[in-house]
Amino acid sequence: MEVVHATATPLALVQRVSALIDAGRAGAAGPLLAAARQIVAPSPELSLLAARLAESQGDPGLARAELDVAIEAAPDHAGLWKQRAALCQRLGDFDRAARDAAEAVCLDPADPDAKALLGSAMLSLGRPAEAWACLAEACAAVPTNAAFREALAIATEANGDPEAALGTLMEGLSPKGGALNLRNAAILFCIRHRAFQKAVALAEDGRIAGTVDACLFGLKGHAQSSLGLHTEAADSYAEALKLGPDDPYVRHLVQASGLLPGAKRAPPDYLRTVFDGYADRFDSHLIALGYQIPGAIRRIAMAYLDRHPGRPVLDLGCGTGLVGVAIGDLPVGPLTGVDVSARMLAEAGAKGIYATLEEADVQDWLDAENSQWGLILAGDVVCYFGALEALLRSVRERLAGDGWFVFSVEEHVDGESGWALLRQGRYAHSRDYLEDALGAAGFAVHALRPQVIRHEAGAPVPGFLIVAEPAALVN
Amino acid sequence: MNAIAMSRHGALRRCGVAPADPAAWNRLGRILLASEELCLAGAAFAEASALVPQALDIALLAVEVATTAGTLPDTLVRLADRCAADPFNVAAHTARGVVLQRLGRHDEALDAFEVASALAPDAPLPARLLGGVMARSNRLREAEAALRHAHGLEPDNADIANDLATVLMRMHRHAEARAILLRLLERSRESVTVLCNLATATTCVGLQEEAVALAEEAIRLDPDAVLPWRTLCSSLPYLDGASGERLLAAARGCAERLPRALHPSWSGLTRPPRANGMKVVGSSPTMTLKIGLLSGSLRSHPVGWLTVAGFEALDPDEFRLICFGRDAGGGDPIAARFRAIARQWIDTDGLSDAALAARAREIGVDILIDLGGYGDSSRMLACAYRMAPVQIKWVGMQNHSTGLAEMDFFIGDRWETPPEFAHLYSERLLCLPDGYVCYSPPPYAPDVAPLPALSNGFITFGCFNNLAKITLRVIQVWADILHRIPDARLVLKTHQFSDADTAARVRGRFAAAGIDPERIALRGSSRHRDFMAEYNDIDIALDPFPYSSGLTTCEALWMGVPTVVYAGEIFAARHSLSHMCNAGLADWVAYDTETYTALAVAKASGMAALAALRARLRAQVKASPLTDAPRFGTNLAAALRFAWKACISA
Repeated sequence: MEVVHATATPLALVQRVSALIDAGRAGAAGPLLAAARQIVAPSPELSLLAARLAESQGDPGLARAELDVAIEAAPDHAGLWKQRAALCQRLGDFDRAARDAAEAVCLDPADPDAKALLGSAMLSLGRPAEAWACLAEACAAVPTNAAFREALAIATEANGDPEAALGTLMEGLSPKGGALNLRNAAILFCIRHRAFQKAVALAEDGRIAGTVDACLFGLKGHAQSSLGLHTEAADSYAEALKLGPDDPYVRHLVQASGLLPGAKRAPPDYLRTVFDGYADRFDSHLIALGYQIPGAIRRIAMAYLDRHPGRPVLDLGCGTGLVGVAIGDLPVGPLTGVDVSARMLAEAGAKGIYATLEEADVQDWLDAENSQWGLILAGDVVCYFGALEALLRSVRERLAGDGWFVFSVEEHVDGESGWALLRQGRYAHSRDYLEDALGAAGFAVHALRPQVIRHEAGAPVPGFLIVAEPAALVN
Repeated sequence: MNAIAMSRHGALRRCGVAPADPAAWNRLGRILLASEELCLAGAAFAEASALVPQALDIALLAVEVATTAGTLPDTLVRLADRCAADPFNVAAHTARGVVLQRLGRHDEALDAFEVASALAPDAPLPARLLGGVMARSNRLREAEAALRHAHGLEPDNADIANDLATVLMRMHRHAEARAILLRLLERSRESVTVLCNLATATTCVGLQEEAVALAEEAIRLDPDAVLPWRTLCSSLPYLDGASGERLLAAARGCAERLPRALHPSWSGLTRPPRANGMKVVGSSPTMTLKIGLLSGSLRSHPVGWLTVAGFEALDPDEFRLICFGRDAGGGDPIAARFRAIARQWIDTDGLSDAALAARAREIGVDILIDLGGYGDSSRMLACAYRMAPVQIKWVGMQNHSTGLAEMDFFIGDRWETPPEFAHLYSERLLCLPDGYVCYSPPPYAPDVAPLPALSNGFITFGCFNNLAKITLRVIQVWADILHRIPDARLVLKTHQFSDADTAARVRGRFAAAGIDPERIALRGSSRHRDFMAEYNDIDIALDPFPYSSGLTTCEALWMGVPTVVYAGEIFAARHSLSHMCNAGLADWVAYDTETYTALAVAKASGMAALAALRARLRAQVKASPLTDAPRFGTNLAAALRFAWKACISA
């Protein structure tokens, strides 16, 4: 018989546990820690390992309990206070995080990690001046720590000095690349402050240094697109997708550039990313572009509501509620808005016009819904669908027998029939295709007229405004 | 009463008179296991285990019983309880790991072996098992560490030594692997496995003739085994003078020995099932097709770099991709790209070839594209069982024909597989109108620097291919080029030069050809970006032969470096021909060594032209079909449709 006894020393076991936790191997660390605890006396080091393991296994409650007991037993151990501070910060208990981090600083005033933890907690508590003081010391002690530097930049910006914030980030970059996260933070900072040229330059420096990831190329593409460099942006997005193929936002843009087969619609995650990031300046931006759809829809809604006052109205892809504003003074019944973007809906909600606001993809929502509406509106929404058959069928199901479906599309002007995915990630449709698709979905065309959707680079974007009604009504 | 019955009777009696003797129960258990009395065997081992909980062999025999009886899940529960109750029980942790492995739960198995090995650092078996699972999970450095540890504890264990050698080979440390395998061979030349592994390692250190001889020795040892023939198929393409006919014969030799008789199926059919009157469900020429991709290399690997963009460019409404592959692990970006486009990912690890074929049939794969050939992760037997009505060979040990009757098509192009070579292939040739691959350059590729010769004042030739491709004849031809350009330099770069002895041997060969060693730089491995950056030291790449560059030529082109090519007969001898012509550089190709030599010298003499070409080459390649994924996707789609129509109309 081959009898094998455990011969590992306690120290070797504890070291192995620590290495396994660092490597994310909780499945192996757990049993070894259990073994170690049978032969090693309780200690702050073992408690720290147990807390780290518990948190890595998705049990922050157990991690917290381990630390509570350990701190009770060894209140002078700075590491325990730090660990608990970090845990509380991650759990959103910023008060506790700040207190624990402060305790760690008191126990070891020279420890930059403790100062950084305290600084981060202060930031979360909305105390940027104190945050800045802590983080500046941490950063001065370890200038190469990218996380310290990034937090310091946030604190500096929160203290009202964006230039200095950018300078903090830039100081951490090097010609050889530096920390990728720091570079991406600097690029994003520039984009947020509309310094697109600088953003592109920083991204290009990173590319030359070989310090790249999907985020860097994605940000570069965004900056290039903002500068009107659409071909270059397409290349950047294509590179981003090679490194981050699971990003639906980038994938849709690469499809729009023609480098990948086009999808039949913009994915909900793409729409969410676009509009969540856009919500706070959406209205002003659209007005600046001469957005005409809400006004055009109002005129049609007036005609319908004159004959059918008080009918419930469904606003698909309501966004910030511009269509709701346009028809708010008309004799509408309860107004329901559906949009995939939570932040856009928040803006719509603030306008106080909608009776109901639903956060959902319009296709999914229509398919799950049972009610019917007299007036269904879709201003600048159908442009995110290529093939319309499924959407039109779903709308038809939700439209009352005497209802109208009013929607806008961009016109596919290349002389071809059908639909196409355009560079900007929106779809355009030909008149022939619209008529065929509406007919196939059980609609009759009440009106289909040319309509300028908005202006881009000073030029009008041609489209159609369509009023469709159930085909049975016509017969 | 026969001998077996008497042994059984005796063992039973012994347990009866000495119930506290674990050896008695152990012996009884082994006898019962041998006679497949599984329930009783399990009970006997349980008795022994209760008496000696730390007995590793008994714990593992109990796992064997459970495996045969189909009761692994129950055994797993019992072992988990035992581990929780006694966290120091190495036998229980090890046995648990084996059970998890057999249940396909490899990550958990890895953890269990890790625990066992950490608890008992002096026990070789847990370390060996840990190394094995690490290797399967592509954690090669950790696998090496575990296996070296096991090897150190049991240096005479041939299996551990062989496992270590295979891991080293996967890490491109072929010289070290070869040394281990040679020592094993000294003890016995009867092991086909060792001979074949040694043949592979020997090929990779550039000793092509010796490698083929080893493969042929393995064939003589066991003429009907598949492994020696597979090894020959892998070694022969590197051998100077190996003809297309000889390669086809070797491939047929391998294919014929695949054990089809074990699995009743469509196997043995040399034409797709439809042609044999079997219904291909829902067949129509324009239907959405399920395309199976079969490969253990759907990751950062030549297979990945040369095919992923092409697959990405297929319309997902027309072609549904199902990947039959292995988990690359570690966030490999190419693997992530395959996963993003796959409708399904079937992990082939742990699936037998029969089970793999059955799974593909169950899914209803219409076209299976093999991307592994007779290489390390070969699944040609699954192809022999027929995974799909249409089977196509493409990139991935695509050095020549598969010789497999069940492989219907072979993707090539007008350069790789011109009509006059069709008789050298057992498959029907599917010639794509541009090149046969689509290269996807990495986003982190460095910029192209100006021509080094402008600042150096001399030409630097380079070859970044693996040493398997560099034969004695190649060295002689390159030496001839260097003799004709007295101030030129040559840089060779490959993993194998990280081994000092290997580098010394190659340097010696150049010296024997009269070349001052100072003119030859031998560089070892580096990270991919750095590897590509080193093309900024090279003016002109020299293609080896007969086995041409594939991905290497594409990467050189992307870095502004054209390659002088000698195109031969076999498929592997024409890769660079295809890539260079596809990129608009057909004037860099020769068809004999004299012209190759003259071409290299001529191209090196035109510094201005060379500099101008370098400056525009990346843009030229970017605009060429070699990297035009949408165009390639259209071509690939048409080829797949053609193959499908041929199947349903047969």
